[in-house]
Amino acid sequence: MNAFTSNRRDFLKLVGLGVAGASAGCASRPAGRLIPYLVAPEDILPGVPYWYASTCRECPAGCGTLVKAREGRAIKIEGNPQHPLNRGGLCARGHAALQGLYNPDRLRGAEAKVRGAWQPIPWEQALAQASGRLQEARAAKRGIALVTANETGSLLQLAGEWAGAAGGTHLVYEAFGFEAVREANRRTFGQAVLPTLDLARAQLVVSFGADFLETFGAPVAQARGFAALRERPESGWFFAVEPRLSPTGANADEWLAVRPGGEMAVALGMAHVILREGLGQGPAEVVAAWTPEVVERVADVPVETVERVARAFARRRPSLALAGGVASQSEQATALVAAVNFLNYVVGNVGQTVRYDRPLGYETVAPFDEVQRLIAAMAAGEIDVLVLAGGDPVHSTPAWAGFAPALEKVPFKVSLAAVRDDTTDRCDLVLPSLHPLECLGDSRSVPGVWSLQQPAMQKLPLVEARAPGDTLIALAAGAGFGSFPATWEAYLQGQWAPLHQRFGAGQTFAAFWDEALRRGGVWEEEKPAAPAPAWQGAPAFVMPELKGGGDLALVLFPTHVHDGRGADKPWLQELPDGTSRIVWGSWVEIHPRTAERLGIVDGDPVEVRTEQGSVRAPAYLYAGLRPDTIAVPLGRGHSAYGRYAKGRGVNPLALLPPAQDAASGAVAYLSTKARIAKAGPRPMDGYPRLATAQPNQGQADRGIAQGMPVASFIALRASGGKAGFILQPQAGEGTKAGGAHPPPAPPGAPPEEQAHIPAGLGRVGPRGTNLKVLLETPPSQRKLGKYTEPRELTPGEVIPPQAITAYEPMEKVRAPRAIPVTQGTYSNPNDRHRWAMAINLNSCTGCQACVVACYAENNVATVGPALVQRGRSMAWLRIERYEELLEGGPNDVRFLPMLCQHCTYAPCETVCPVFAAYHNPEGLNAQAYNRCVGTRYCSNNCPYKVREFNWFDYSAPEKDTFAFPEPLNWQLNPDVTVRSKGVMEKCTFCIQRILEGKGKARDENRPLADGDIQTACQQSCPSRAIVFGDLLDPGSEVSRLSADERRYWVFNELNTQPGITYLKKFQRESELA
Amino acid sequence: MKRLLGLAVLMVALAAAPEASSQSFSVDLGNRRGPVQPIRFPHDVHAGKLGMNCLYCHYGAEKSPIANLPPLSLCMGCHKMAVTDRPEVVKLTGYWQRNETPRWVQVYWLPDHVKFNHLRHVKAGVACQTCHGPVETMKVVYRYSSLKMGWCVQCHRQRLRDPQFPASMDCIVCHH
Repeated sequence: MNAFTSNRRDFLKLVGLGVAGASAGCASRPAGRLIPYLVAPEDILPGVPYWYASTCRECPAGCGTLVKAREGRAIKIEGNPQHPLNRGGLCARGHAALQGLYNPDRLRGAEAKVRGAWQPIPWEQALAQASGRLQEARAAKRGIALVTANETGSLLQLAGEWAGAAGGTHLVYEAFGFEAVREANRRTFGQAVLPTLDLARAQLVVSFGADFLETFGAPVAQARGFAALRERPESGWFFAVEPRLSPTGANADEWLAVRPGGEMAVALGMAHVILREGLGQGPAEVVAAWTPEVVERVADVPVETVERVARAFARRRPSLALAGGVASQSEQATALVAAVNFLNYVVGNVGQTVRYDRPLGYETVAPFDEVQRLIAAMAAGEIDVLVLAGGDPVHSTPAWAGFAPALEKVPFKVSLAAVRDDTTDRCDLVLPSLHPLECLGDSRSVPGVWSLQQPAMQKLPLVEARAPGDTLIALAAGAGFGSFPATWEAYLQGQWAPLHQRFGAGQTFAAFWDEALRRGGVWEEEKPAAPAPAWQGAPAFVMPELKGGGDLALVLFPTHVHDGRGADKPWLQELPDGTSRIVWGSWVEIHPRTAERLGIVDGDPVEVRTEQGSVRAPAYLYAGLRPDTIAVPLGRGHSAYGRYAKGRGVNPLALLPPAQDAASGAVAYLSTKARIAKAGPRPMDGYPRLATAQPNQGQADRGIAQGMPVASFIALRASGGKAGFILQPQAGEGTKAGGAHPPPAPPGAPPEEQAHIPAGLGRVGPRGTNLKVLLETPPSQRKLGKYTEPRELTPGEVIPPQAITAYEPMEKVRAPRAIPVTQGTYSNPNDRHRWAMAINLNSCTGCQACVVACYAENNVATVGPALVQRGRSMAWLRIERYEELLEGGPNDVRFLPMLCQHCTYAPCETVCPVFAAYHNPEGLNAQAYNRCVGTRYCSNNCPYKVREFNWFDYSAPEKDTFAFPEPLNWQLNPDVTVRSKGVMEKCTFCIQRILEGKGKARDENRPLADGDIQTACQQSCPSRAIVFGDLLDPGSEVSRLSADERRYWVFNELNTQPGITYLKKFQRESELA
Repeated sequence: MKRLLGLAVLMVALAAAPEASSQSFSVDLGNRRGPVQPIRFPHDVHAGKLGMNCLYCHYGAEKSPIANLPPLSLCMGCHKMAVTDRPEVVKLTGYWQRNETPRWVQVYWLPDHVKFNHLRHVKAGVACQTCHGPVETMKVVYRYSSLKMGWCVQCHRQRLRDPQFPASMDCIVCHH
C-alpha cells in the first residue's frame, strides 16, 4: 500500500502543471483548415446571403417565398412580398419547410424491403426493378396506380400523362381536399371549386366552422384580409358558429356554440330571417321550414341570436359567410356549405366577397369516393404496381377505409417520399425525392398566378435523391411507355412555353425563364370580380345524425401540423397548440363541467372510445367547447415518419365509423359520438402530465393583453384625444393596499370598464381570469392592474412608488417616449436610434408564424416535451393566449406576442453581477453570451419571463438534449451564435438584421430609412401585426403607432418603460346588438 | 510509484491540451512563427515585390463579412503562364490538375461567439496591415495580432469619435 507515498505537495505541483498545460492548450483551439473553391461559383461569395424566389409546397395554397441561402445552404424562408397570394407573409408550416429539407431522418438513397427490413440499394438498380415491374404489369394489362399530392402545377400534368401512358390511374390525394365545398358550389352555382374569400372587403364575417386562419383555403392570404377587416373599428365583426372554438374562432366577437352538426341549421335560419324580413332576395321556399324556432330546437342557438346575427349579416354588406372546415365535415357537409352559399347569395355577397372567378387549386383533388375505389381495387388484387408520389394515406385516411390492409394486397409498391412516412414504410421500394427547396417545380394554385419553385441549394450531400418528376420520367423510360422529355426540367420548361408567349413577348425563352425564376413566377394583374354566378338550386337540407352509442359528440380538428405532414419537424412539434398550448403530442379536450361530472382533472389520462376503437391521451379542460362534446386533434400518432413524429400522440382517425358526406363522399370527421373514461392514475402524481407551454390562460387581472371597446376608441379618436389613461396625481397613489385604480376614462369617452365585460357571463373552468369575482364587483371597484403613465412630475409632487427607478434621479422620471435614449458616451451622434416595436393585438390572430420565424432566424433550440413541461422552452418569442370570456355568446380571447420588451429601465440589467445583461446605446436590452455566467438572476427579475436559460447543451452533439442533429444544424444562421449550456439568452430585436440594415444604408451612402430593418417576426407576420422601427424618427411607422389611441405597455406600473408598445384589441361585443 | 503517478498526471494534461503541439509554428522558412502550408505561398513576392492589391485575391474582404481565400482558378489565371517551373507552382498546378484544393492551415480565427465583419472595416478605411501586419514582407504569413478582445477594443476606443466612421464599443455589435 505504498501507491500513495507521494506527498500532497508533489501532487499539487503535478496537478498545477497539468492545469497549466491544459489551459495553454485551450487558450486557442487547434488551427482549422481552410478549403477554398477550386473555381468560385459566380453567384456565391462566402458570407453574403443570396435570396432565391421560390414557392412553398407545404400545403396546396402555394405561397410565394424567398429562400435565404448562405454558403450554398438554405437557412431561412420568408414570404415573397411581390407574390400576389401572400404578399410577404408566411405561415408556421412554410417556415418549417427547412426542417423537412434538413430532416435527420431523410432517406439517404434508394432502399428496398428485403424480408421485411429496409436495405439500401443502388439507385439504378432500384429504378430498374421498379420499371421492370411496371413493364410487366403493363404487358399483362394489370392495374397501375399513381398517387400524388395536390401539386397543382406541371407535376400534376406530368403525373396525369404518365398514368395515361402507363395505362393506369392517377389519383390526386389530399387529406383535406374540401370535396364538400366543391360539391356544394357545383350544385348551388355550377362551379366545383374553392372560391377566393375576400375577407378584407367584408364588413362582417360569419364562419360556420371554417378554420380560415389555420388549414382552410389559403390561410396566409385570408389572415391578411382578416386583419384588414378587423382594423376597421366601425365594422369588422366576426362571428364563429362552431361546437368547439377553434383558434380561428377564438378571434371572434361572438361565439355561437352550436350543437355539433347544427351549423347548417343556423345558416338556414339566418337566411330564413333575412328573407322573412325582406332584407335580402332569393327563393324563400328553400328555407321556409327553417324558422329560428326550429333552429333553436335542432342547433341549440337561441331564436334571438339567430335573428340578431341574421339582421346584422344582411345590413352590413358586403358580408361573408364561410363553411367547409375539416372539423365541421359531417355526413351533411355539402348541405352545410350549400346552406352557407344560400346565405351569401340572399344578401348578394357572391361575386363581392366570394369570388368564383379566382378559385383555389383544388379542382383536381380526388374526392374520397375515388380514393375508396382505389382501395377497393387494391384490396381486390387489381393493382399490381402502386407508385406513391406524395401524401401519406395510411396515416391520413380513416382506419375504416382500410387503406393499410388493402396496400398489403398490392404486389409491388414504390414510394417517392423523402422521409419514410407511414405509407412508405409499408411499401416495397423507395426512390426518395428531393425536397422542394432542392429542385425545380411550379404551382398554379390560383388562376392568373403561375408560381415557380426553384432550388435554393444543391441537393444535400450524402442524399441520393431525384426530383419526383425526374423519377417518374426515368420510370416511364425504363418501362418503355410514354414519350417524355429526357428531364423534368425540360418537361417543366415545355409546360411554360405557352406562358412565354403570353408574358415574355419579344424575349427569348431563356430570358423569360430567368426573369420568371428571379421573380418567383408570373402573374396577371388582378382582374375585377366577374359577375356572380346564378343560383342553381339547393340540395335537400337534412340534419346530420351522429352515430354511435356514446353521450358525447366527438369533434376531430386539424392543427398546425395540418393532416400530419408537419409532425416530422421539431419546430412545429414544439409550437404550442393554438388552443391548449400543448406541445409534442395529443390531448382530449373536455368541457370543465363534463370533466367534473366524470371526475376527470386536467392532465388525467383518459380513454376515448367508440365502436370502432379507442385512443388514450391526457385530458385538457377547455371551456371553449360545448359540454356535450369532446375534441381530439388530428395529424399526430404516426407509426413511422422519423424520430420527431413516430409515436408522438395518437391518431383519432381510428375512432371514426364508416361515414361519408352524402353528396360528395368526403370523409365525415364529425360523425360519431364517443364515451370517455379515466384511464388509470395520473402519471407522476401531482405534476402536470401535459406538456404545455402556457399552463394558465388567465391574466389574473394584470392587464397583460388589453382590450378597448370600439365605442371608446371612436369617441377618443373623434375628440382628438391621445392615449386614454393619463394618470391623475393622487396623494399616496399606489401606496395603500387596494389602491390600484383602473385607468380613468378620457374626457368624452364612454367609461371603458363598463363595456368591458357584459353582465351575466361567468367563466367556468380551472384556468383563466376569475371572471365571476370580477362580475360581482362593481366596475368602479374592479382591479384591473395598476396602469400608470410615467410622465414629468409637477414640482413638489409626491412621487408614486412605481415611478421610482434606480437609473435616473427621481425628478427626471419622464414619459417613456422622452427617455434619453443614449446611455453611455460612445454613440455616434449622427447615428442615434431607439429601436422599438409596436404590436397590434387587434391584428394578431395567434397563428404563431412569428414564433417559427424566430426559431429559424435566431438558432433557437427545441427542447422536447419533458423540458417544456418544466417551463424550459427556449422560444424567444411566444404567443400568449388569454381567455377573457369563453362561455358562448360574446367572446373575448386575446393573443399576445410576448418577447423581450427591451425596457428602458430593464430589471434584468441591474441584477446581473457580471454585466452580461446591459443596455445598449440604441435602447436594446442586450445580452453578451460570452460574459454570462448563468446566475439566472436576470430571468428571476424579469417581469415578462422572456429570458431563456440553457439548462443543457442543446448544441453539443454528444448530449441527449442535442437539438440540431446532422444535418439539421445546416440550417443554423451563421450570423447568430449558437448558445451553449449555462448561458441566458433572449430576443435581440434581430441585432444581426439591424447591423445588416445599417451597413447596407451606409454602403449606399444614405441615411437609414424606416422599413429598412425588419425583424424576423415582423417579416413573417401574415397580418402585419408587428412593426419594428426607430422611435427617434418621428416619421416612422412605429412612432405613429406608439402614439395610437389604443397604445399601452404591459406591466406599465413597474416603470420598466418597455420598447414594445401594444395596441389594444378592439372589443366589439357592445356593438353586436 | 511516485514517478508513475506523475507521468499519469502529465499525460492527462497533455491529452487535455488538444493538438496544442500539432499546430506547428516552427518551420524552417526563416520565420519561426508561420505554420507549414501545403504550398509555400510567398506573400512577400505577390503583395510586396509584385505589388498586387490584397483585394485582388481576397476580394470578399470589401464585399462580405468574410475575407475569402482565392479560388484555385484565380491562382491559375496567372500561373498557367507565369513561372510554371518553380517547385511550388508545380505543386499548385498539380492540385489544379487533380481537381483538388489545398487545405490551407488557418492563421487567423475567432471563437464562435464573436462576429467580425471585414466589409465594415475595409469600408471604414482600416488598412489590411493594421490587423494582419506587414504581409507584403512575410515569406510565410503568421498571426500578427493577438485577436484578443482587448486588442480589438484599444483600436475601437481610439476611433470612438471618428467623425466619419465611429467605432462601436457596444458588446452586442460583435457578440450576438
